[in-house]
Amino acid sequence: MSAVANTPTTGRKNYVTAIKEALFEEMERNPDMICQGEDIGILGGAFGATDGLLAKYGSDRVIDMPIAEACIVGSATGLALGGKTVMAEMQFIDFISCGFDQIVNMLATYHYRTAGEVNMPVVLRGPAGAYGGGALYHSQMNEAWFCNSPGLKVICPSTPYDAKGLLKGALRDGNPCLFFEIKELYRKREIEELLPEDDYTIPFGKAAIRHEGTDVTLVSYGQNVYHCIQAAAELEKLGVSAEVIDIRTLVPLDEDTIFTSIAKTNHLIVVNEAPMTCGFAGEIIARVAEKAFEYLDAPPIRITRLDTPVPWVKPLELFVLPSVEKIVQAALKSVKF
Amino acid sequence: MSRESGTATAEATPIHAQVSNLRPRDLLSKEDCLEMFRQVYLARYFDVRLIKEKKRGRLKGTLYSSHNQEAILVGALFGLKPTDWISPIHRDMPAFFLKDLRGDWNRPDRIGMSIEEVCAQVWGRVDSPGRARDNWSHIGSRSKKIIHSTSMLAGTIPVAAGLMYADRLNGGDAVCITFNGEGSTAQGIFHEAINYAAVHKLPVVTVVENNQWAYGTPFELGCATPDVADRAKGFGIPGLIADGQDVFDVYDKVMMAVEHARSGKGPSIVECKTFRAYGHGDHDDDRANKYRPQEEIIAGRARDPIGVCRQTLLDLGYISAAEATTYHAEGKNASEATNEDFPPEVVDYLNAGIEFALQSPLPAAEEGAMWVFKENN
Ligand SMILES: Cc1ncc(C[n+]2csc(CCOP(=O)(O)OP(=O)(O)O)c2C)c(N)n1
Ligand SMILES: [Mg+2]
Repeated sequence: MSAVANTPTTGRKNYVTAIKEALFEEMERNPDMICQGEDIGILGGAFGATDGLLAKYGSDRVIDMPIAEACIVGSATGLALGGKTVMAEMQFIDFISCGFDQIVNMLATYHYRTAGEVNMPVVLRGPAGAYGGGALYHSQMNEAWFCNSPGLKVICPSTPYDAKGLLKGALRDGNPCLFFEIKELYRKREIEELLPEDDYTIPFGKAAIRHEGTDVTLVSYGQNVYHCIQAAAELEKLGVSAEVIDIRTLVPLDEDTIFTSIAKTNHLIVVNEAPMTCGFAGEIIARVAEKAFEYLDAPPIRITRLDTPVPWVKPLELFVLPSVEKIVQAALKSVKF
Repeated sequence: MSRESGTATAEATPIHAQVSNLRPRDLLSKEDCLEMFRQVYLARYFDVRLIKEKKRGRLKGTLYSSHNQEAILVGALFGLKPTDWISPIHRDMPAFFLKDLRGDWNRPDRIGMSIEEVCAQVWGRVDSPGRARDNWSHIGSRSKKIIHSTSMLAGTIPVAAGLMYADRLNGGDAVCITFNGEGSTAQGIFHEAINYAAVHKLPVVTVVENNQWAYGTPFELGCATPDVADRAKGFGIPGLIADGQDVFDVYDKVMMAVEHARSGKGPSIVECKTFRAYGHGDHDDDRANKYRPQEEIIAGRARDPIGVCRQTLLDLGYISAAEATTYHAEGKNASEATNEDFPPEVVDYLNAGIEFALQSPLPAAEEGAMWVFKENN
């Protein structure tokens, strides 16, 4: 699905393996890099993303932290002040709220406050997203909080290729990055893919077109990209040609790819699994309204989680979340407007 | 006023004291002691002068006075190596220029901020180390080894801990002192960060300035143990108590904690008992005279750190009775004190800083939108 380079490959890899490879390669490349988080060393991470790091790099550089998210972020900031590059894992992205102040007030503002004296090469990464029955506190997509906090880059890969390339890019970026991994994709067989053997990174602010089309543009990121791709297939059967854009990074946002697409399709649907109000879908639509209004032939539509928490049991969970069906219906409504 | 918290203090006793029964202060020279006295005067004068500047209309913004707490700043900083780090808060404005202040105060190679930089910050001018992007004590410097604070109380303790972790990996032997009010010790991050520092035996010394009040809230409504130092037991680290009015007692206790940290034994808490002279900030001066009983204020300010230090120097024979009466700053509020109450070098030093600040321009407006991100192209 992604643009794998023509380099020799090493067999198909899943998403979490791609993350793991990125961490191993960057630890190898950068002796000043440190990984820390809850259960990342001895256990190898709740999802195995850091499995083997401790054995290879030792407890000085791979730190099993106390269960204290604010301290995990705050000490990562201190390590960066001391010249280190830090990957700090949130065991589930839901728990990042416990470290919120240290992220938005301490880490995100550091470069700004010091008028550029201090860089903060800190990547906060963790498993995010719903559709797995994780219930209220193991299902969240809280990326919008951080998009609303200047100084943070916000990244959400949807493929193994992107996960590796974007994570390696984040670890070299020199700015604090919030890296939302989709835990439902970690071990999904269908999306396994060949990864380049050579070192590669993916630049931020470059969206990927996952499916080309001419009638309606479906913009998304993370897990919902797959819902959009399936919706595009359904729409095809109904004679509607949908283009699917995976933005990959929210901050910075690749507006151009979106604008270029709607210049062609004149219809826009934005899908994200976070709640609607003040969510990132609304931000995308606001930018289109400000800068590309004349391309639209119909009001843009948001398909998001309802403004509810994520409930546990399946029927409830699916009821509140975006689905292929909801996207198809929205696209049909839009093109018929 | 000074009380030691039993076994914890013994653990922090430095090697030389165990062998010789010497206190850290016993190794200070006469010149050192006189210098500390001068620095207490300097810290007081800074406070007095800023209040006067504001009254004269030459300065805007809230002032957080360190009046009556200067011995803590001077005593805590005096024994540090230049390469040690500090993390001051709102009550500690003089700490920025007191760091590594010995010999010639205008030494350009000093690893602390110059008075010019600090005044430029207070006045919000472009020559501030943070180019006046945040106010008051929210400045820092990597080269000067001062952590850049935010408003969030206790928020720099995890940063200090992470920084010391990095320093240890880098082969350094630095110690970091973080300053905090007693009220801030109720913050979750205070506990998260000291626990982490204790687990990894990181050289972080938390100096708690217990001035009995956190804005309008008395100590006992923020902490259920008689002393903040008691909190140390829960982390398995030493908790020491110093007489915050006595620069030499603060020096002793902080140096014990610093040596403990530098020798790899980990963090400590040093609680310095003191009393906030005025309101929380100068906007609170009037109300603070109402919510705090007059007797409490009088008792809390009875032992002015200038007077306590002078008496020690007299007892040691380092100054004569005649010299002891040259300046009279102690016990005086900013409105009562004059330049004649301070050594002239103290006045001159600050004058230079203020003059520099007043001629330093404001930053260009566009800077407000700069440095959100590090640019990568
Ligand atoms: C996290 C946070 N909560 C509240 C405040 C507002 N505030 C600033 S100073 C202060 C009182 C601090 O008291 P203490 O820690 O004892 O320090 P002191 O001012 O007495 O030196 C408060 C409540 C803040 N700056 N940060
Ligand atoms: Mg206080």
